[in-house]
Amino acid sequence: MQKISLGKTWAIAAVVAMGAQFAAVPATASETAAVFKFYCAQCHGLTGKGDGPNVTKDFPVSPRNFANAKEMDKLSDADLKNVIMDGGPSVSKSPMMPPWGKTLTVEQVDGLVKHLRGICKCKGKQG
Amino acid sequence: MRHLAVATIGAVFLIAASGAALAAGGDVFEAKGCGECHYTQGPAREKTIDDQLAKKGPELWYAGSKFQKKWLTDWLADPKPIRPMKFNDLMVENPADHPKLSGGDVAAVAGFLMGLTSDAVKAGKVKPKKNPKGRQIFIKKMPCSGCHQYAGRKGKIAGGRSGPSLVDAGLRLNPDWILAYLQQPKVFKPVKMMPVFVGLLSDKDMLNVARYVANFKPKKKKR
Repeated sequence: MQKISLGKTWAIAAVVAMGAQFAAVPATASETAAVFKFYCAQCHGLTGKGDGPNVTKDFPVSPRNFANAKEMDKLSDADLKNVIMDGGPSVSKSPMMPPWGKTLTVEQVDGLVKHLRGICKCKGKQG
Repeated sequence: MRHLAVATIGAVFLIAASGAALAAGGDVFEAKGCGECHYTQGPAREKTIDDQLAKKGPELWYAGSKFQKKWLTDWLADPKPIRPMKFNDLMVENPADHPKLSGGDVAAVAGFLMGLTSDAVKAGKVKPKKNPKGRQIFIKKMPCSGCHQYAGRKGKIAGGRSGPSLVDAGLRLNPDWILAYLQQPKVFKPVKMMPVFVGLLSDKDMLNVARYVANFKPKKKKR
């Protein structure tokens, strides 16, 4: 078995410690609320009912009403994450839902999934 | 030799005069309180959503690269809403209460703002033209029209209301800025409500969108 010197061990420990220091921190509920209001509310509305200012009578689709637990329960958390990251077409929905994967961090998207579950008061499809 | 000296003095005088005009425009800008809502020194300062929301109006540190001088001059004298909604607000309609300038202040401030440029905008890259590929991306493939108004069929205004209107954007925006903004959004607006399309659209796609949007101009009336 190859021996690792004490110096190398310290170096590895230091790298691991630095990695932990810079590891992603989950977004807090208040940060996520701000993210939702800033990005999502344009179409989904401030309370998530699908009634943002972009939704005029000519808007080509109805943005999802996150308060509709029956519809939201059909989607798993992974489905929600996918559609936020990659946009509507990734789940055969409208391109009016933008891909936010180049704009938001993974932590912000995870926070949004939780936020949406809070609005629908539902757990979504499991497994 | 004598001619050279005269030419040199003339050039120095012109540079000094244009510098003085810019300074005068900057003075008017501050005196009129424009600086209370718009910042004019780059680079972009916003790092967080709160930073963006704290702003009362758009940043203008690259106004000379973004706008067309004629449009800007006309607009300063007679400002019309560009955004359907109030700046940084999703609930309140644009109150259309931007202050007007008059007399010599218009040209002075327009000159000052047109002197504020960004090296990130390369001249001569985008030629406005009818562009079916750009249209396809703008209306079908990507959600641009979901947030920006534009003139649809028969001139009917279509599109969403949360972003700046792009109706007649070809008169307002420098075509090369549109492309630079799509390609390097963080240079101009590090925190914005519009998605980042870098890595989602190719440079060619962005060029097509820029050409398409830069071609948004009023239809000439048939005689």
